Amino acid sequence: MLLWLENTPIALWVSLSYWAYPLLLSVHIIGLSVVAGIFSMRDLRALGIVRDPPLSLFLRYHRLALVGLVLNFISGLLLFSSQATVLIESIPFLVKMVCVAMASAVAFILDSRLNAAGGYEVRGLKWLAGLSLCLWMSAIVAGRLIAYIF
Amino acid sequence: MLMTFAQSLSETSLHSWVVSQTWLWPTLEVTHFFGLTLLIGGLLVVDLRVLGAAASSPLLATYRLLPIVLVGFGLNLITGVLFIFGDPFRYAANIGFQAKMIIICLAGANALYHHLKVTPLLSAASLSADVPMVAKVSAAASLLAWTTVLLLGRLIPYVGTG
Repeated sequence: MLLWLENTPIALWVSLSYWAYPLLLSVHIIGLSVVAGIFSMRDLRALGIVRDPPLSLFLRYHRLALVGLVLNFISGLLLFSSQATVLIESIPFLVKMVCVAMASAVAFILDSRLNAAGGYEVRGLKWLAGLSLCLWMSAIVAGRLIAYIF
Repeated sequence: MLMTFAQSLSETSLHSWVVSQTWLWPTLEVTHFFGLTLLIGGLLVVDLRVLGAAASSPLLATYRLLPIVLVGFGLNLITGVLFIFGDPFRYAANIGFQAKMIIICLAGANALYHHLKVTPLLSAASLSADVPMVAKVSAAASLLAWTTVLLLGRLIPYVGTG
């Protein structure tokens, strides 16, 4: 199935066109900075590294963070398609996928708890924020190592 | 002229150190990514608030994120310098890198202008007052500049002769 994916017209465009890779990587890094950037700010605030702005402010940026995540899902899928058979066996790639999935789940949990809290204390805030920060940072590390470990 | 500068960098012991450890370059890259995440994440929150996002929340409160932005920039300045020392000829010949450096200077000038001229205006304004246009222009310029820096950085391996 992965070999089939690699041979679809779009996957072939990704691997053969000179500008496909830099274009997709550019979209991917914008998405990364948006999703990991916004969530890192929220996490650092939740952990008390900074005392302002109010946590509820970050709720208004969650949709933008989701846009970043979707951009990376799409660009990631296209990048994956051109080297599916190789990447599926790449440990850094698999680690990254797990980290992104878990970080997204934590983001969802934090979003619903922040919404429900209405300015009052959020249950489990500090450890969720710490976990979130570690997961996004780990995703970044793993993502970078894909090019180095194969 | 850049080449003679690159030549002198390539003869330093810092250069030798950077190229001598195989783990160092990926570590520098990862740290560089951490830095850009902090910088852009922080500026997204602040600049978009200035531009009108989350308008019911206090504007200047977001400015407390700026120290984190500076930490991100600092990390990237340090790792960036180490990259240059590690591969001076490549960067001296790379148009993407040169353009990136110019835009960073422009972004820095905009940030300084914002800090010296715009922030005092925002402090003086009341909570319900409209955000002054100069603040919005500066915030938009900030986002545009740093996005450009991000893209140019990503394109370094793909453009130019270096």
